Amino acid sequence: MENISRHEKHNEIFRAFESALGKGNVKDNPATVNAYFGDWLPPKILGQSIPPEFVVLPNGTMETQTVVRICNRYKLPFVPVGSNQWSLSTAPTLPGTVIIDSKRMKELIEIDEDNMFAVIEPYLTVAQLHAEANKRGLYIGSPEASAQSSALAGHTFQGLWGVAYRLGVAFRNVLGMEWVLPDGEILRTGTFSMDPDCGYWGKGPGPDLRGMMRGYCGALGGIGMITKMAVKLHPYPGPKVWPAEGHIPNMTTTMPKDRFHWELIKFDDLEGAANYMYEVGKAEIGGVVQKWPTVYYNWWWANSNEEYWTEWQKRTFQDNVKHTVGTCLWGFTSDEQLKYEKRVLEDIIKDTGGRRVKQEIYDMWIPRAANNWIRDTNGSRMMRPAGTFLALTLASDTIRSSVNLVKEGYKRVEKFSPPILDCDGPDWIGTYDFSHFGFAETDFPVEKTPEDIGDLMGKLLGMVKEDLQNNVECGIGPFLGGPYHGMAGPVFKYDKLLKGIKRAIDPNLVSNPPHNIPMED
Amino acid sequence: MAKDMLLPKDPRYLKYPLEGPFDEEKARWTAFNCSRCSVCKWVDSWRVKSAKYARICPQHTKFMYDSHSAQGKCDLALALIDGKMKWDEDPEIKDILFQCTMCGGCDAMDKSVRDAELIKMYRWLRTEYVKRFGPLPEHKGMLDSLKQYDNVWVQPRVKRNSWVKDLKDLGIKDLNKDKADVLLFVGCTYGLSDELKGTVVNMAKILKKLGVDFGTLGDKEMCCGSPPSKTGNMGEFERLGKANIKKFNELGVKTILTPCAGCYGTIRVEYEELGEKMNFEVLHVTEYIERLTKEKKIEYKKEIPISVTWHDPCHMGRMGRPYVPGKDLEGVYEEPRNILKNIPGVELVEMERIKEYAWCCGGGGGAFTGFKDFAQWTAQQRLEEAKDTGADILVTSCPWCETNLRAGGIGMEEKMEIVDIFDLMMEAL
Repeated sequence: MENISRHEKHNEIFRAFESALGKGNVKDNPATVNAYFGDWLPPKILGQSIPPEFVVLPNGTMETQTVVRICNRYKLPFVPVGSNQWSLSTAPTLPGTVIIDSKRMKELIEIDEDNMFAVIEPYLTVAQLHAEANKRGLYIGSPEASAQSSALAGHTFQGLWGVAYRLGVAFRNVLGMEWVLPDGEILRTGTFSMDPDCGYWGKGPGPDLRGMMRGYCGALGGIGMITKMAVKLHPYPGPKVWPAEGHIPNMTTTMPKDRFHWELIKFDDLEGAANYMYEVGKAEIGGVVQKWPTVYYNWWWANSNEEYWTEWQKRTFQDNVKHTVGTCLWGFTSDEQLKYEKRVLEDIIKDTGGRRVKQEIYDMWIPRAANNWIRDTNGSRMMRPAGTFLALTLASDTIRSSVNLVKEGYKRVEKFSPPILDCDGPDWIGTYDFSHFGFAETDFPVEKTPEDIGDLMGKLLGMVKEDLQNNVECGIGPFLGGPYHGMAGPVFKYDKLLKGIKRAIDPNLVSNPPHNIPMED
Repeated sequence: MAKDMLLPKDPRYLKYPLEGPFDEEKARWTAFNCSRCSVCKWVDSWRVKSAKYARICPQHTKFMYDSHSAQGKCDLALALIDGKMKWDEDPEIKDILFQCTMCGGCDAMDKSVRDAELIKMYRWLRTEYVKRFGPLPEHKGMLDSLKQYDNVWVQPRVKRNSWVKDLKDLGIKDLNKDKADVLLFVGCTYGLSDELKGTVVNMAKILKKLGVDFGTLGDKEMCCGSPPSKTGNMGEFERLGKANIKKFNELGVKTILTPCAGCYGTIRVEYEELGEKMNFEVLHVTEYIERLTKEKKIEYKKEIPISVTWHDPCHMGRMGRPYVPGKDLEGVYEEPRNILKNIPGVELVEMERIKEYAWCCGGGGGAFTGFKDFAQWTAQQRLEEAKDTGADILVTSCPWCETNLRAGGIGMEEKMEIVDIFDLMMEAL
């Protein structure tokens, strides 16, 4: 092998892929691979990513296994991709990278209505699954990254969709999995381990292996490729077809009033909002409970860039929704449940000193934007005002700690503005699992220039390192994947475990290195 | 916050650059500001009704690689403009740029989340490609025909007039000699296709029944310029477009009526790029009929017990209006539907993908002449969707859609009849 030229080796690998997948299902030409090294944020803009050497389209678990084995044989790094949307870690950084594109694995294999689960492949989107589930009176959550993302990939990542407050964040909804490990072995978890056609139960013999692919931000492709997953579905009191009205970009949605009810409740400060969120959770009511920053109101609402900046200068949302919590009550079982929850919420509003936002603001926001937290379609509007957005702080902890965290975030935003643009208090606090935990993030528009993004990324990395030196996990780090775990693992003493797992399942270190942890030693 | 931090310092981020011709700078702006959100690949999430009919882009659905999507074309544009890739580096650049029906599905979905005009970027890319390598061999015949006959179908000019000759008693004016407020601009495909001749005759009869005083240009009618405009041959588009505008202005007509969706979108939207003053309004015939029937009801004599599904031609819909950021992507959507609902016995059943999120017929953007397999595959997807509605027939009003859908249906086991709206109306009259 050593004696053959690089070109001959390339051709040999190409033939190996083509022989396994069929003609047309592997490509290496510049115009094709050029579409696979961009990213929504820094790597391409900062010149850190390079085009892959091959893009392959396997169809199903067995073909994926063959691809992974070829990658191991030639020691080629591979990157599994789902919808390739807003990719955080799929831009190759190493020469010879193989993109395993899941386009041919696009099926909704099964919906079991009685047992309320679906079996899905990686290129099925949340919107597709959502639509099929809705027809059957069932529901699956939708991330704020928009429902055109891969439902399977979303379940391996954060999965903090709006109704996760009630139904559990996405990774809690994972049942059985069929998984091609980095060395090409096939791992079936849950009941798939006993019957490859039945994945209704998440656990199986031995330890629960779902933890391997989860973590705060998933494994970012560092532990192989999941080719089939069973996910929980939940009862849904909404219509069988999503009730959208109007034309792009000015679409609205009004959910049935007897089963859904939105409230926008304003408080004097963040602490007031946090108290309210705790009380709603303790009362075990509601489907969505979110404290959005004012930029979110404007981002999701504006139908054009000009409308965004015009409305921003008028301060329509800044002056009216500061410290406001959006709550959507769901009558899961009946309209009586909704009536009950409304009464309980009324008491909570009174007890916590909340007050409703102006009706005109409610009427602006709810039909056009709020229901994105039930099925998102406008999440990508976050990019419009300036070209992109960034977050400086981010964490999952208690609601109370989220409040503290976003306040720290304010200071950083002030410190680094500009290039951070005017964004008011960029304090997103989502609450999940009936307020058992809070998720905080500071999001703001940033001009999409290499200088500004490079500058901010440098500061962000510096902050992460500083936090780690102080034994603090700031939350944004895990989004960096492997490099973060390389730094944080020794601090929090989990590096040996991650490396042990990586060594056992990825002996040739081919699965999207350096994720999930770098193995230089 | 300090005042100077209120707005981005680069005004291009504040406002989509609408002014001036779509040049390299605008193409780069469009490509650079793609956030890889994948909205361009799917029907807007709020409009997805099933897993089966969730895709919007025929090219990406058929060829699967992201290079064959709007996102991939933005990546490609950026690489070409920034000199990271040479135009002649990869023969597949041609397929990526041209094996696309220019249906505007990606463009419409993209407009839900950002202010941009992808189709204008594609047209710019195709034009740049043709500047370097000349017209595609697949489109050469069409271009030669335009130069020689002013139509795309290699037909003598006199044939354009053949359908009018059969209707002498209707009093259709020849606007080369007579005056009328309304010009019926039939277009190359309706005007020259033997298969579609009956449809044009029916449409003319309907207009006359409604008392419309209209005329045609007969054998002096020229192509609207849509095919060269979509295939990167801007010189030919400008020649035809400018000649048409001059002619229309000289005639002094108030209204240009066209039954062809392609002509409609081109005259209404793309002619604006030519910078010529246009002293007329442009309407699709269905728009005009629907407008008239608000005042004067059409008296149908016959009931047609049939269920129909309406196929929205791209150029009548999402491609049929100039883009104004923030404004609704309107099109001729309700007018044909209202006409159908008014025909006694007709039941309209909708496909899942309609209006601005309709799936293309496959016949546009030079695909019909250049990439037949792809064009017909796209048509078959649409026919399958139409069949899933349970409708008896598919109705539309675009000669390209009708021709390509029929071609696509040839190899299919279950047939779906394709009927022009004017033929259906005439049957009931």
